[in-house]
Amino acid sequence: MLELDRISRRFGDVVALDELSLTVAPDRLTGFVGPNGAGKTTAMRIALGVLEADGGEVRWEGRPVTPADRARFGYMPEERGLYPRMRVADQVEHFTRLHGLDGAAARAATVDALDLVGLAGEATTRTDTLSLGNQQRVQLAVALAHSPVLLVLDEPFSGLDPIGVDVMAEALRARADRGVPTVFSSHQLDLVERLCDDVAIVAHGRVVAAGPVTELRRRGGRRQRVAVDGARDDAWLAAVPGAELVGRDDGAVIVALADGVDDQVLLDAARAAGPVRQFTPDEPRLADLFREVVT
Amino acid sequence: MSGELRGWPAIRTVARREIRERGRDKATAISTLVTLVILAAIVLLPSALGSGKDPKATVVGADPAALAVARTAHAGQQAFSVRLTVDRVATDAAAARRVRDGDADVAILRDGRAVVAAHDAEDGAIAAVQAASRAQRTAAALAARGLSRAEVAQALAPPALPVARAGKEDASGLAFVVLLVLYGQILAYGIVVATGVVEEKQSRIVELVLSAIRPRDLLAGKVLGVGVVGLVQLLLIGVAGLGLSAATGHLDVGGPGVPAALLIALCWFLLGYALYACAYATGGALVSRQEELQSTTTPITMAVIGSFFVSLPALDDPSSTLAEILSFIPPCAPLVMPIRQIAGDAPAWQIGLSVVVMLAAIALLVAIAGRVYANAVLRTGARVRLGTALRGRGRAAA
Repeated sequence: MLELDRISRRFGDVVALDELSLTVAPDRLTGFVGPNGAGKTTAMRIALGVLEADGGEVRWEGRPVTPADRARFGYMPEERGLYPRMRVADQVEHFTRLHGLDGAAARAATVDALDLVGLAGEATTRTDTLSLGNQQRVQLAVALAHSPVLLVLDEPFSGLDPIGVDVMAEALRARADRGVPTVFSSHQLDLVERLCDDVAIVAHGRVVAAGPVTELRRRGGRRQRVAVDGARDDAWLAAVPGAELVGRDDGAVIVALADGVDDQVLLDAARAAGPVRQFTPDEPRLADLFREVVT
Repeated sequence: MSGELRGWPAIRTVARREIRERGRDKATAISTLVTLVILAAIVLLPSALGSGKDPKATVVGADPAALAVARTAHAGQQAFSVRLTVDRVATDAAAARRVRDGDADVAILRDGRAVVAAHDAEDGAIAAVQAASRAQRTAAALAARGLSRAEVAQALAPPALPVARAGKEDASGLAFVVLLVLYGQILAYGIVVATGVVEEKQSRIVELVLSAIRPRDLLAGKVLGVGVVGLVQLLLIGVAGLGLSAATGHLDVGGPGVPAALLIALCWFLLGYALYACAYATGGALVSRQEELQSTTTPITMAVIGSFFVSLPALDDPSSTLAEILSFIPPCAPLVMPIRQIAGDAPAWQIGLSVVVMLAAIALLVAIAGRVYANAVLRTGARVRLGTALRGRGRAAA
């Protein structure tokens, strides 16, 4: 388990992280989301020891993290970094060696990692002749090859085509399922929602919402999607106490119900207004919660 | 299983990559080849152009006695540092005409009793003919006094006196070649280090690398790896130079000789490269893009070029006070001291002192470079000021 405990960091007068706390649990795939400049990359760099924190503590398995721990982490930086002229397999092997694997183990791990990301056939290709998407796969292979005990990936999905997204998602899911705590940042909220077990939403250097995705979505309360034929306006809604219009979608209205409000009362009011064509529970999207908590 | 790489294992891993990738790089092979061609030109051109060898001269004669003198002169030409060609002509008049027309240098006339030489004839050629003539006439006189042929031959063939050369032979040519190669090699590989550091910084690889190992190990590995490539290249060039010298008979150039000069060059390359590579790595760490590299490396490059120019007078006068002083000043020492050593002008204690000063300077620069590098290498954007990087803090203490 990785814990960031009240991490602070300033760059000159800019507060990048303001006592940010985050937990990445084993067996869990954690999404790290937030607007640009919220501090995601800074937090990840501090977790990896590439950047120093002004305050707070990074803990691994309950103890302050050591360089020896960090050597066993896997990292994909936001700004990708590969040696452009190196051959793919040499590249992966080099980083695997830097993480402490010796000759034979490094070579075997390289073969496995390239297999995993679907680049086994490109082992002797020069990295800079690969497409950007394939270079990103090499980057993933570099992050995975030394069998890290923790995975930290900064925007791993950006720039990938749909097939690349699937490969990446599968790889991350597989690692998390094998007990490797895995955290990645992303702006693709639908992807995070679909893929992740946990999510942390960061804004202005603080985590403003965190927890299992299902719980966070529920936090938006009960919602009902209602479509009424011929209802010119939503005046009928006003007759239902505790019901609030939160959105419109394709001729339907999205209605939030306060606690204790019976959805059948809402249905009755709708039927009184006209023929009801649609009446389904509507779970709030992560994107809705995101907008709510970061603004 | 993965684990932290610290110190030598990390340095070795980084160096291994540098050596493999640069060894595989065509640019390395091309630069080796170009240096070899230049070296071959320096060694081979003088003999191809005829300089460095004895001058040629043509000796002509018509009658058998004159030709006998000419052939004797030809046989003994080496002692007079000339290369004679003997031509037979029909008459004495023809022989004299050849000399007048400038087609021959020396004509032997009237059964070997008269000699005509051109105004610009080589003194050696005339002396060789004189000596040959004198030997023949002496032999004839001795024979007339009743000595047998064997006795005459014995009387005329006392062994040549062995000549011991006094003073130092001039080794400045060899020293110049060593100076050129050292200068080029230190400059080139220093710049390779600087561009390598910026390449890693610009492409952001460094963040990934430093998530695994410490900055100082990355720096040390890079300097070591590039240095090994430079050293191997220098060794190749040196061995090729040695072969060329042996093949052309230029091996005996005075001083401690070519093999010793090669050894001296290799040692001073190591010291000079270590010093300048650390400085260049620092220069590379302070900027974010190749285009900005000049702004921080120009002072270092100026130091190398400046050292080269202040070394040149030492070629002519390796024992001057200036050369002596310069051979103890770290930026110049790797270029000046080898010149003095090759000239045989450096006492052992001075060489030792120079090496010690060099090692101290390298140790100091390694400490500075390590600190600046660690603080600056992850900062992108504007150029990092040297002072900031010396004080600053960029990374968790590892």
